[in-house]
Amino acid sequence: MSRFFYAKLAATNLKKNAQTYLPYILTCMGTVMMYYIMVFLAENEGLGKMSGGFQVQTILKLGSYVIAIFAVIFLFYTHSFLIKRRKKEFGLFNILGMEKKHIAKVLGFETLYVGVISLGAGLLGGILLSKLIFMVLLKILNFEVPLGFNVSGPALADAFALFAGIFLLTLLNTLRQIHLAKPVELLQGGQTGEKEPKTKWPLVVIGTLSLGGGYYISLTTQSPLAALSQFFYAVLLVMVGTYCLFTAGSIAVLKLLRRNKGYYYQTRHFTAVAGMMYRMKQNAVGLASICIMATAVLVMVSTTVSLYIGMEDVLRTRYPQTIMISAPVSAQQSVESLQRSVHKVLAKHRLVVKDRLDYRYLFFPGNQEGGRVITAESKISNATSSLREYYLIPLEDYNRLTHKTVSLGDREILIYSGPSKYENDTLTVLNRTFTVKERLDSFFENTLEGSSISGSYYIVVKDMNVIKAMKATLAEENGDKPSDYNYYLGFNLDAGEADISAVYQDIRTAVGSDYPGSSIESPVAAKESFFAVYGGLFFLGIFLGALFIMATVLIIYYKQVSEGYDDKARFEIMQKVGMSREEVKGSIRSQILTVFFLPLVTAGIHTAFAFPIISKLLAVLYLTNVGLFVWCTAGTILVFALFYALVYGLTAKVYYRIVSWGMSV
Amino acid sequence: MTILEVNNLKKVYTTRFGGSHVQALANVSFSVEQGEYAAIMGESGSGKTTLLNILASLDKPTSGEVLLKGKRLSTIKEREISAFRRENLGFVFQDFNLLDTFSLQDNIFLPLVLSGKSYEEMSRRLEPIAHKLGIGDILAKYPYEVSGGQKQRCAVARALITQPQLILADEPTGSLDSQAAEGLLRLFKEINQEGQTLLMVTHSVKAASHAQRVLFIKDGEVFHQLYKAGMSDEAMYQKISDTLTTMATGGVRHE
Ligand SMILES: Nc1ncnc2c1ncn2[C@@H]1O[C@H](COP(=O)(O)OP(=O)(O)OP(=O)(O)O)[C@@H](O)[C@H]1O
Ligand SMILES: [Mg+2]
Repeated sequence: MSRFFYAKLAATNLKKNAQTYLPYILTCMGTVMMYYIMVFLAENEGLGKMSGGFQVQTILKLGSYVIAIFAVIFLFYTHSFLIKRRKKEFGLFNILGMEKKHIAKVLGFETLYVGVISLGAGLLGGILLSKLIFMVLLKILNFEVPLGFNVSGPALADAFALFAGIFLLTLLNTLRQIHLAKPVELLQGGQTGEKEPKTKWPLVVIGTLSLGGGYYISLTTQSPLAALSQFFYAVLLVMVGTYCLFTAGSIAVLKLLRRNKGYYYQTRHFTAVAGMMYRMKQNAVGLASICIMATAVLVMVSTTVSLYIGMEDVLRTRYPQTIMISAPVSAQQSVESLQRSVHKVLAKHRLVVKDRLDYRYLFFPGNQEGGRVITAESKISNATSSLREYYLIPLEDYNRLTHKTVSLGDREILIYSGPSKYENDTLTVLNRTFTVKERLDSFFENTLEGSSISGSYYIVVKDMNVIKAMKATLAEENGDKPSDYNYYLGFNLDAGEADISAVYQDIRTAVGSDYPGSSIESPVAAKESFFAVYGGLFFLGIFLGALFIMATVLIIYYKQVSEGYDDKARFEIMQKVGMSREEVKGSIRSQILTVFFLPLVTAGIHTAFAFPIISKLLAVLYLTNVGLFVWCTAGTILVFALFYALVYGLTAKVYYRIVSWGMSV
Repeated sequence: MTILEVNNLKKVYTTRFGGSHVQALANVSFSVEQGEYAAIMGESGSGKTTLLNILASLDKPTSGEVLLKGKRLSTIKEREISAFRRENLGFVFQDFNLLDTFSLQDNIFLPLVLSGKSYEEMSRRLEPIAHKLGIGDILAKYPYEVSGGQKQRCAVARALITQPQLILADEPTGSLDSQAAEGLLRLFKEINQEGQTLLMVTHSVKAASHAQRVLFIKDGEVFHQLYKAGMSDEAMYQKISDTLTTMATGGVRHE
């Protein structure tokens, strides 16, 4: 037999199996395309040179890793599905006298064709689309769009290497399966005995506990900082829970239903329960994967979209005032000289200050344990939710800013602890124990509070002497710093962005060099980098969302097709035994609906339970507008559900065609 | 009393795209009496399955009519046809047609569940049938767990449990070894003796020799009929063989 023969046979095989191979090849193409574009953007020099481009490219790089990992798992999974359906064919070849090494040759050619087509078309599509996507990204980022069109050599090589590797791996895996199998097993293919699934109670228990645990974490986590570390565990638990409950939980429920004779032996439930049991056994893992992917899409898209839309809010939360200066103060660097420098700049620009806010303060982080604060840097733990930021402010400044005439003793304080109440009557910090004279319900606005992600405590003490003494203790604990305390000066300006930007730059030059360690911030200056980061995340969210949706579509399609073939025989029998065509159709519809909308509904529930913890996470990213997040989540779910329903409708057609082909009467 | 009457049945298959026509049945007429056990024989492709499908109202004839207990099948409304089929006809097929998603018991219950019978009623009906067929202790198993003969007995139980007017069997012994086939034929004979009407399509001379009457189909028509009357199985076997040889060598038709 000539080598030509195998090449030809391989081509015939692909054509014959077009119904399943075509979607596979299209998906490969799509994945190649998306990977190329992602790498292209992540490596694009033009983007790198723009301000904020670096952050964006870091995000995109991360995205390209996600796509790579996803591509390996996903293409492997779908390919194994294809092979499962074709085992019978290989068995036949084997029995007809083809040796396994010949089959391997045919498979080699098939993989070669699939690889060449997918890589060729995928890369070509990627090159063509990359410019468009690049422009979309720049638009999202508020960047200038440069002219020109380019192809990235390294990105091409990268994509080629990755996918050639994946194709090789799938081939090797198939060969391994074929090699291990006996011809009889190959002939029986996918349908080796429809054993009744066993109820795996341990898995049900593990699944319930995991899911419950995940939900519990989400519902109970209070501090945003804790949310950051807990989120990962919650995701992991929910994933484990989903897989366990889809596989074991569904079977357990169905078996319980079946045990209930009065329920089970009703026309409507009879075929449904048995049919669902069979379907869940076959599809649970696939459905759980769809569910998790759908949840990922929902969470990713809704968060990145709300961050992007809420950018103005975010900036306002993070930078409550137009210009925010905080500088260390000492004998050489006085408050007065700083004020003079700032006023000089403002005079030059002929601008008047609005909502001026200034106060002296001592800042340090610490772990709050009951009424004690641990401030030694070596003992502070970042991970726990007891981490707080402490701002000590002299009474003089407090009275001035609030127009009050409060008086305090040496060992008395006023405390403002944000929305959560400070429970104790005393506070021991830096070797001093203070009595809490009053718990404040509010503090002056526009403090630095907004920019902090862990809880902040504002503590008003009698005077600067107290602060200076405590500073000395702090220096003993953590090593000396040149400054005595800090000074904050913030204000708004009635001016356009360009003017504010100029003022900001001038203040930086005027203050920055004289006050080492000072920070000068303005939302105007930060806007670009926020656009870069949040725009980048937004882009990534949408991009990966699209990828996951593509994957979901393919899995659904394969499920419909494979089930269609299996169900065809089953429904023919039911008709012969006396089920009407309408009953059969109704039964098909309800089962298929349940199977395909179960993941969607579960994903919706997951997303709802994830809501509390994610809104805390968003607070870390300075998005405190929960209302916006609610709308974005609802919108995302709606769009996704519509899309899902559309895909379902289209693939259901294929299914009905298969099932009802040649159906009598 | 005549339970089934078939008059001038004709069936022409048109291929999907309306291209070629295949005449499966040309002009078939015969009748079956209440309590009779009849067999249908004929070459492969002579239209036996087609005929059975039409009798079972699974397919519609091109022309001609089928009457079950005097009722024209063509007059039954589309909506009622499956209920009619369920209540009046039982099926036994060559490949059993058991559903792999159900246990054997649930497979047998299926037509009754579709008719909305209660579980108690179903179990009451199943008990004597399962006893007679000797499948009482495998009812909880699934089709893939039992032998071909056992599967076929379950298929018979499923056909019997609705207490149908007529049982239609399409090559019921085709997938069985000779011993299992023998067992099934004995069973058919037994239930026939209890008054059940049976119509069976078969390729096996042995199977056909158990029947009281054998119809031979050739070129879409009833070519010949043989009555067993008082004959022994062996004598009947010989007569059927002779008829088949005559048919194969293109002998003239004699009625
Ligand atoms: N759905 C169909 N479409 C077109 N032609 C058909 C169809 N079903 C059967 N035929 C044709 O009708 C004729 C009779 O087929 P039928 O299945 O009734 O034969 P049979 O006697 O049951 O054969 P066998 O003994 O092999 O089962 C054959 O020529 C067959 O090709
Ligand atoms: Mg046939």
